[in-house]
Amino acid sequence: MGVSILVTGGTGFLGSLIVTALHEKHPDWHITILDLQPPPSQQTPNLNINYVEGDVTKAQDILQTVQSIAPTVIVHTAGLVPPLRNRFSRTLEARVLDINVNGTANMLAAARQTRSVTAFVWTGSCTAVIDNFRHSYRNIDESYPTSAQDSLIYGESKAKAEKLVLAANDFDDDGDADVGGEQLATCALRLSVLFGPGDYQLIPSVHACIAKFETPFVIGNGTNLWDVSYAPNMADAHVLAVENLLSPTKTAAGEAIFIQNNEPIPFRDFCLEVWKNFGHYPPFEVRLPEGLAWLAGWVAELGTWAVGTPYTLSTGSVMDACAVRYASGEKARRLLGYEPRVGIEEGIRLSCAEYAQRLKANELEKQNSKEKEQLRRDRTQEDLSWRLWRFLE
Amino acid sequence: MFITNVFYYLVHTGELRSIIQWKIWHTPVHERNEEEETPSLKKCFYFLDMTSRSFSTVIQELHPELLVPIALFYLVLRGLDTVEDDMTIALEEKDPILRNFHSILEKQGWSYDGCAITEKDRELLVQFGNVTEEFTKLKPAYKTIIKDICEKMGNGMADFCKKSDNNVNIVNTVEDYDLYCHYVAGLVGNGLTRMFVESKLANEALASRPQLQESMGLFLQKTNIIRDVKEDLDDKRRFWPTEIWSKYVTNFEDLFKPENKTAALDCNSEMVLNSLRHADQCLFYLAGIKEQSVFNFAAIPQCMAIATLDRVFRNPDIFKKNVKITKGEACKVMMESTQNLKLVCDTFLRYTRSIHSKNTARDPNFLKISIACGKIEQFIESIFPTQNPAAVLAPGDSSKLTGRAADDAARAARDAQQAKEAKEDTFYLILTVFGVVIFISAIMVFVAYMVGARFDLAFQELRKGNFMKIKSPEQLEALKKGEL
Repeated sequence: MGVSILVTGGTGFLGSLIVTALHEKHPDWHITILDLQPPPSQQTPNLNINYVEGDVTKAQDILQTVQSIAPTVIVHTAGLVPPLRNRFSRTLEARVLDINVNGTANMLAAARQTRSVTAFVWTGSCTAVIDNFRHSYRNIDESYPTSAQDSLIYGESKAKAEKLVLAANDFDDDGDADVGGEQLATCALRLSVLFGPGDYQLIPSVHACIAKFETPFVIGNGTNLWDVSYAPNMADAHVLAVENLLSPTKTAAGEAIFIQNNEPIPFRDFCLEVWKNFGHYPPFEVRLPEGLAWLAGWVAELGTWAVGTPYTLSTGSVMDACAVRYASGEKARRLLGYEPRVGIEEGIRLSCAEYAQRLKANELEKQNSKEKEQLRRDRTQEDLSWRLWRFLE
Repeated sequence: MFITNVFYYLVHTGELRSIIQWKIWHTPVHERNEEEETPSLKKCFYFLDMTSRSFSTVIQELHPELLVPIALFYLVLRGLDTVEDDMTIALEEKDPILRNFHSILEKQGWSYDGCAITEKDRELLVQFGNVTEEFTKLKPAYKTIIKDICEKMGNGMADFCKKSDNNVNIVNTVEDYDLYCHYVAGLVGNGLTRMFVESKLANEALASRPQLQESMGLFLQKTNIIRDVKEDLDDKRRFWPTEIWSKYVTNFEDLFKPENKTAALDCNSEMVLNSLRHADQCLFYLAGIKEQSVFNFAAIPQCMAIATLDRVFRNPDIFKKNVKITKGEACKVMMESTQNLKLVCDTFLRYTRSIHSKNTARDPNFLKISIACGKIEQFIESIFPTQNPAAVLAPGDSSKLTGRAADDAARAARDAQQAKEAKEDTFYLILTVFGVVIFISAIMVFVAYMVGARFDLAFQELRKGNFMKIKSPEQLEALKKGEL
């Protein structure tokens, strides 16, 4: 019998990869995508993949939608990652909390009120633990506490939502199976920073450094390890989590699990490899000690405050670049049997090839239409402002 | 030579310090009891000194239980190796010696004088009777292990000799390379592990981890193969696998031509990468040793290997001459590797970071090396965490933790409290200094004001942009006019 599965945010970068991965492994499963926008029309129509429009922040609508679909599994991946220029401020606080926390609460409420739902897999983030600049995070495991205080807004929203997701789990492996026929098993996957084909954040902004002559500058000592992951591997982890929560033992129920490529490298090396894929090598290297870079960031922030335009360099982005943040993949291996299928070297190659094609297509588009040219410029402008240091999902 | 050394250590005083410290402070964990040794055993130790550059000292400091077995194990393998290495011996003669070496061990008075006069360890085989005589006195368990390894190694070597006779490239694929290293080094790791476990000086779990034993041997062997590439070429031997070097040059000899420097260095880095992948398993293995002398015996070569790997990584000199770590560096490494696993890990981390810092984006193996270095660092972090969950908790939040974690939390809180106090102290100190400075400045300004200093004029000039002294009489005139 086919399983019915609802994927929120299934049109987005990660969401669409999750839909693909689920469909590839379980072609008989029935997948419903819930998103604000429909998937691109060129996607081949498939009988087992449907789309419904929906907004996770609207509790009543969502409940009705979920009840009418009556899925067995919900994969809740819809969320908002603030763009980098808002990453270090609280300007988007209300919106981020509304989508990431209230949206999750709404989905959980809908899941509990829909008898058919037995499993709930939530796309979390490692930032629930590590979005706090006061600490280093070396090879951390799940015993580290989430950091709702002193965190950046994204990490705070993910920490709060994660608490809700784990609290909603009522599967208990020593309890009687027949007590609650409609027990809900939940789990949170804490993903690291990711990139992949179709990536509109990390690869484009690292690539943009070439045109801006920023590639020679190294902030800090360049040895701080950092987790970065190939997005299709993250989609695989979601499939494994769904399978786990549908199995009789449900070992992942009520658990938060770090998921990454298990290949921590310095951020600088990631950038060098991306640039290399575009045939660029920094002509020379200038090392900026962390303190000096922080000062420069502070001056830039002061400038921003005085002039009022959004800043690119900031104390936050400097600390992001110098932070040590990587996690152990032990629990994911033990509970889900997760091992990344594609290494980051191969992942970077595939992603850069895809982005080069996209750039080429944009170039063609530019020649074809002047109106579209303006639009493209706006978009590139946005990419540029994304800037170096660090990105989430 | 002596003069250059003197100059070298005058500049590198840190290394000189290491040499002096090693000479003064290193005391052997155990010492040989020479008075009770038979003449043949004395002769064996004499050969040990003659044949091994680095192993002799560490072997002689081993626990009495393992001292003689391991010394004989070393000499037996050295004998085997000498026969294999000697290119003047015909294959028909060499093959049976290699394949039957294990039974030779039981033959009293066996000796062999077929080696070339130039072979430096020739004498060991000529007087091999000393080894076989002592061998019979060993405990049966050790005898079995040594014979077993000897048989496997002899057959493996003979197979490779046969191959090399038909084909110049004895090591073609990476798989061949691993297999060759298995015969000449991986098996040694296996034999030693069985002896350690037999003597109960190491965790018996090591015996059931062949992958770890293998890595111990392969890490050393592969590093030596990279380092000795020029020496081996001169001796008409070649251990770098064709599968690797053919990616960079057409003929192996091209690696040594100055015009192919970039290709040769990229090839070098792939070889280093291949070796580096064993490093974390070596650390894992060392964690299973219980006794200090055994730990030293196993750890010194490993630390020397990572130091050597750092020295050879992207070093063009390896294609010109034999590159070695300096004596000072060797002493430093020996000091660090004869204490505990934590220091060994620190040493590994230091050299790993040094390798990483020489990694360059133009190298085709760039990201792979970066990942391999990251993996070693993550492994070290997993056995010696430099932080714990309690350290990132807000004070007062420790209620979330239990047991050891709670103790950690309490300690962390105490540390945090101390750090805070230290910070406050510093703050007050700075405040006092600045307070005094400001106070004295204020008095000076006040005194100057009382005696008639015109700060208003000074400000005026500053605002006009006159930061320098007034020099010309015209300016002075203008100033006076302004004043009036």
